[in-house]
Amino acid sequence: MSKFIMILTITFLVGPFLIIFLASFGENPSLEFPPKGFTLHWYNKVLSMPMFMDSLKLSVFLAIGASLLGLILGVPVAYALVRWDFKGKPVVEFLTSLPVAVPGMVAGLALLKFFVLMGTFSIESTLLIGHTLIVLPYSVRIVKGSLMNLPEEVELAAQSLGANPIKTFFLIILPLIKTSLIAAFILMFIISFNNVPISLFLSGPGITTLPIVMMSYMEYYYDPTIAALSTLLIAVTLIVVLGMQKILGFSKFL
Amino acid sequence: MSNTLFKILVAVTLIFVVVFFAVPLLSIVVKSFFTSEGVSIKSYIDFFKDGTSRHAFYRSLKLGMAVMAISLILSYPSAIAINTINNQTIKSFLMTLIVLPIMTNPVARTFSWLAVIGRNGFINNFLVYLGFHRVRILYTETAVFIGLLQLFTPLMLLSLVSAFENLDKEVILAAQSLGAGKFMTFLKIQLPLTLDGAIMGSLLVFSGSVSAYVTPALLGGSKILMLSTLLYQKASVVLDWDAAITIAVIMILLIFGVNSLVKVILKEVSY
Repeated sequence: MSKFIMILTITFLVGPFLIIFLASFGENPSLEFPPKGFTLHWYNKVLSMPMFMDSLKLSVFLAIGASLLGLILGVPVAYALVRWDFKGKPVVEFLTSLPVAVPGMVAGLALLKFFVLMGTFSIESTLLIGHTLIVLPYSVRIVKGSLMNLPEEVELAAQSLGANPIKTFFLIILPLIKTSLIAAFILMFIISFNNVPISLFLSGPGITTLPIVMMSYMEYYYDPTIAALSTLLIAVTLIVVLGMQKILGFSKFL
Repeated sequence: MSNTLFKILVAVTLIFVVVFFAVPLLSIVVKSFFTSEGVSIKSYIDFFKDGTSRHAFYRSLKLGMAVMAISLILSYPSAIAINTINNQTIKSFLMTLIVLPIMTNPVARTFSWLAVIGRNGFINNFLVYLGFHRVRILYTETAVFIGLLQLFTPLMLLSLVSAFENLDKEVILAAQSLGAGKFMTFLKIQLPLTLDGAIMGSLLVFSGSVSAYVTPALLGGSKILMLSTLLYQKASVVLDWDAAITIAVIMILLIFGVNSLVKVILKEVSY
């Protein structure tokens, strides 16, 4: 009985992905399942449309930038939270986890109001700031978890041999938590790449991320172009998740 | 000490979060309690006076609860089944499938449902094949519910799978050797010991369902509004910023309210 429900649940979770995969090869210019005929036309169309390719480029650059900034800003906080004893710890913890606790649409609205008021930021930099904020909590959480498993003796040993704290940090600690840094980077990349609410509010004319372009395309067209693009995105996600699990194990990134 | 450098780095991060997140957030919360005449809760009264807004509020609450309940019902048996799988390869493959919906691009994930519940989708073509009429599922509350359930069941499942993993296998064996059947073991042993995981999962699912935007936007259309889609409509279509801000604060209050309420109740119960 419980096995039956499990199979049912997992079918419900991933069944639509299989169906959109099959539907993306249909010849009919309107989305249907089961599809009629077989064509790669929609895949060709996606890959040759500048509107998708430009926004893909922006999404990838944005995700890389936000994830790197997320690590640069997050790692010192994670280190301080694990190794130091100070009064404001709960405040630091609260502030750095706040962006993930607030609904994305609320965060997007608040940021837009703020940047409109400021007026001096370019669209690219507001997008980068917004995306960095929403990925930051994940870098703090993952790196904190792996630092907690790292015995403090390692640092003390390095320092007793004459390494200063900076040297210890870069030559000893960072290499030891390398896997978590990679896991955090990949997770942050996925979260930024997939983000809709922040980009929805902060995008501007001609400077739009892929998910937003997909949504506006869907408002006007109902052909399998988005099915082809969705299939590509789902396939890449599956490969990334399988790879992460193989290399890092699940406990590392969830 | 070069610890100073670390302190500066931590300070930079905190300033970044405060300036670009805490302050903008606080300013919309404060602004929602002011009108041109001073402190007032007029915008909130207006919100609940307006039929569309009130509906969106109740719909968010209702769908949040419904998704939470059904995902619990699906996840308990599934988590038990997953935990009894001994083959690690199969187990980790199933876990990959389970996390796939949360990791997939939300537009791609939601678009997949159009091929299932759309006019020429799987369900309707199947109904026609069987000789029935087409049914309208897309752009109904049901469609939004289905989309949210797919998105948030993984969170519930992950919480419960880890709760069951932490559960001592001997406890179950002990119960069974004392004569408890499968159902009694579940009711008296497994359920109470995994309740924390279930509550954690439920809070995540509820908060997520209330916050979600892409799913109600694409599957509910412009008629089946939830708080998040109403917020966007006010902010970018109607350009009524004050109304959008009020909705934003209501969303925060709803989510934080439910979360703290559950935590307070838990504290009371455990004493």
